[in-house]
Amino acid sequence: MGASLLITQAMHGVVYGMLLFLVSAGLTLVFGMMGVLNIAHTAFYMLGAYLAFSVAVWTGSFWLALLVVPICVGLVGAVVERFFLRKVHVHGHGYELMLTYGIFFALGEVVKMIWGTFPLAVRVPDILAGSIPFFGNAYPVYRLFILFISLLVLAGLALLLMRTRIGIIIRGAVFDAEMVDILGQNVPLVFLGVFSIGSALAGLAGVAAAPFLTTYPGMGLDIMIDCFVVIVIGGLGSLGGALLASLMIGELQSFGVVFIPDLALVLEFLLMVFILAVRPQGLFGEKG
Amino acid sequence: MTHLEIIDLHKDFSGLHVISGVSLKIAPGERHAVIGPNGAGKSTLFNLISGRYRPNKGRILFKGEDITGWSPLKINRRGLARSFQITNIFKNMTVLQNIENAILARKGMQFKMFRLLKNMPEVPDEARSIMETISVAEHADAPAGELSYGLQRALEIGIALATGPNLLLLDEPTAGMTKEETREAVTLIEKITEGKTLIIIEHDMDVVFSLADQITVLNYGEILASGTPQDIKNNPDVKRAYLGNKICF
Amino acid sequence: MKNNKLIYLAIGFVVLVLLAVFPFILPKLQLNIVIEIAFFSLFVLSYTLLLGYGGLLSFGHAAFFGIGGYLTAIIIRSFPGVHLLLVILISAAAAALAAFWVGFFCVRRSGTYFALLTLAFNQFFFAVALKWSSVTGGDDGLGIKLGDMYLPFVGNIHMHSTTNMYYLVMAVVVLCMVGCWFLLKTPFGNTVAAVKDNEDRAWFIGYNVLRTKLTLFTISGLIAGIAGSLFVLFEEFVSLGCINLVMSTQVLFMAFIGGTGSFFGPILGSAVYIYFTEWISGITENWEFFLGVLFILLIMYAHRGLIGIIGFVVDRFRTSE
Repeated sequence: MGASLLITQAMHGVVYGMLLFLVSAGLTLVFGMMGVLNIAHTAFYMLGAYLAFSVAVWTGSFWLALLVVPICVGLVGAVVERFFLRKVHVHGHGYELMLTYGIFFALGEVVKMIWGTFPLAVRVPDILAGSIPFFGNAYPVYRLFILFISLLVLAGLALLLMRTRIGIIIRGAVFDAEMVDILGQNVPLVFLGVFSIGSALAGLAGVAAAPFLTTYPGMGLDIMIDCFVVIVIGGLGSLGGALLASLMIGELQSFGVVFIPDLALVLEFLLMVFILAVRPQGLFGEKG
Repeated sequence: MTHLEIIDLHKDFSGLHVISGVSLKIAPGERHAVIGPNGAGKSTLFNLISGRYRPNKGRILFKGEDITGWSPLKINRRGLARSFQITNIFKNMTVLQNIENAILARKGMQFKMFRLLKNMPEVPDEARSIMETISVAEHADAPAGELSYGLQRALEIGIALATGPNLLLLDEPTAGMTKEETREAVTLIEKITEGKTLIIIEHDMDVVFSLADQITVLNYGEILASGTPQDIKNNPDVKRAYLGNKICF
Repeated sequence: MKNNKLIYLAIGFVVLVLLAVFPFILPKLQLNIVIEIAFFSLFVLSYTLLLGYGGLLSFGHAAFFGIGGYLTAIIIRSFPGVHLLLVILISAAAAALAAFWVGFFCVRRSGTYFALLTLAFNQFFFAVALKWSSVTGGDDGLGIKLGDMYLPFVGNIHMHSTTNMYYLVMAVVVLCMVGCWFLLKTPFGNTVAAVKDNEDRAWFIGYNVLRTKLTLFTISGLIAGIAGSLFVLFEEFVSLGCINLVMSTQVLFMAFIGGTGSFFGPILGSAVYIYFTEWISGITENWEFFLGVLFILLIMYAHRGLIGIIGFVVDRFRTSE
């Protein structure tokens, strides 16, 4: 096991971790702010991948997909929040959860109806294909691209939340939505906005993942467990926690697949149980 | 021997000191009122004694036993019960069931699975006598959530009573009540605390002075004064703390 | 009041008689469906105990159904002589043990976290079933061959027959349902209701809320395990489909369709679900999509399920008189 191989694996872990972060970021923000765990979130991710396939096939341009698809998925998210989730809010969190579950299920079926059940191949654009030398090994350019996009989004999110007025409102709403409402902000609009942005991010992750992971109907479920583990470990509503936890899970998956393939899932799972036993609010979450 | 002893109790919430060094001794059979302006820490004190919060520093001794950091469950089993300032009843269960809940727990029957409730008439019987005491007997089969505010407050106390405590903590039992309801409440409280120790948080000074043997005044998480009603009435610090309030002696 | 009791007993008697004669009046196909409805009703009942009566939403209940099923198949294959009733018992015990373990970690968290954790644990058991193929058959599953079951006074019963399987399943299901019915009328049943109504106050009057939830979760897992065992005895086959997320989704849908607030919701829900999916899968390939849409519509417009709708209609009928 040469050092260069280890570094490559570590790099793989970071890439997958950042992808995971892209998907989990929206999920944890919405959860922290609205108290709703949007199970349909990873269905948006899946939708992003499938739409990317279609846009790439119709227009021949992956770049166009990268630009347009997240916006489309964001709109889908907006519709879900405004016309479905909001209606069910009065019945309590249990029903919200079941509704998002139903939407996850229905979207999965829609995808199967439109695109069929066989995995789809999304082509990597030529400029991103191939590999570059990296610590003695050749590292795929596309993975670095994913890393680049994720870091860009991370920077953008940090900027938005820390430096803009809207960001302060959002952070306030994550902390205490009722207070923000009393202070006169339009909380339903903030919810709608955050939900849409979160969905768009999931869609973006889907586009990025499409050529990288397999695009198939079960991809939403596959990443869902990882996302949930990330949120549980990182703590609700905490982006920093989500980032750290995503990288942890990314590395765990990466090394796990190589060294202990059958146990990797079990290990991840045990890690979650351990964190829950020792620090139930996650690494950065609030108690209770 | 003291019934309840609080030794140098401290409680912070994220840096905010809510209770800063409270020490108190309460004798068996005593009727002790805790008063003070809003935000003084009275309910927090109750939460600390009854086990909802864990103190940052200090100890709580109940009948000589150190109950600091115990769960509410364990503390209640020892004979300490509390009522809540904001009504905390079983809204979807009947009034009878509300009282029965407490009785069943007291008798240690929570996990009995091989006897039917209807074959245990002693439970509703006892519940009925408690309901009579708190004057809600005629609403036995009504869902608790549909009761009037005054009756819900009575039920609130009744539930605590049904757990068979020897120390009763009542948190603003007459909050929101009319003069008439308050008078009835005081009579009720006198009746049910016979032979028991009472600690009561109250804003209504008439209630305080008609019930209490001892009064402690809390302000900003510290004890401002503690003594007999006479002592408190004449205490200049207390008068100063209450200046500006509608409360006057 | 006495009249009501007589009416209930009469209805119960009629139902029992009907159940007893079904094998003689129903064609085999219909009988098979009734058997399916029976053990799924039991599975859904275990779920309703948890959700409707305990207020705990689980996304991973198939774990215990599947464990019950897999244990049954494994025991029958490895120890062919074991009496079927004992097999069911052991499978149920295994499911209960698993439920205790899972519940231990899950009940200390509330609502959404609880649901998340049950989902994760379900995936864990699914992964075990998938990877440990030497024991579970992995993707291929396990087939079983049913021999005879000996009962005193009756002799050897040939279990490969639909009629005999029907009676076994019905007997077990009715027994379990009656058990659950009475359980809800014990002090423990009251404890569960109290904890669901006001968990906070329950602590302060001497209830161990965590222990209550864990006990309920374990019982629920036990019953799900029995249902899973019956499933495998009937199908003579166990596969990943018994323990995957699809099955967890199915029980949630069935429970919801029937209505989680009533003891009879499970029976109604599983019957409607099974007949509906039979019917609609004959019409369109995309029936799962319509199922999802139905579910969403129910959540938004009829969240108390069919029992709720029936109740609503009956109330309207009464008030218009």
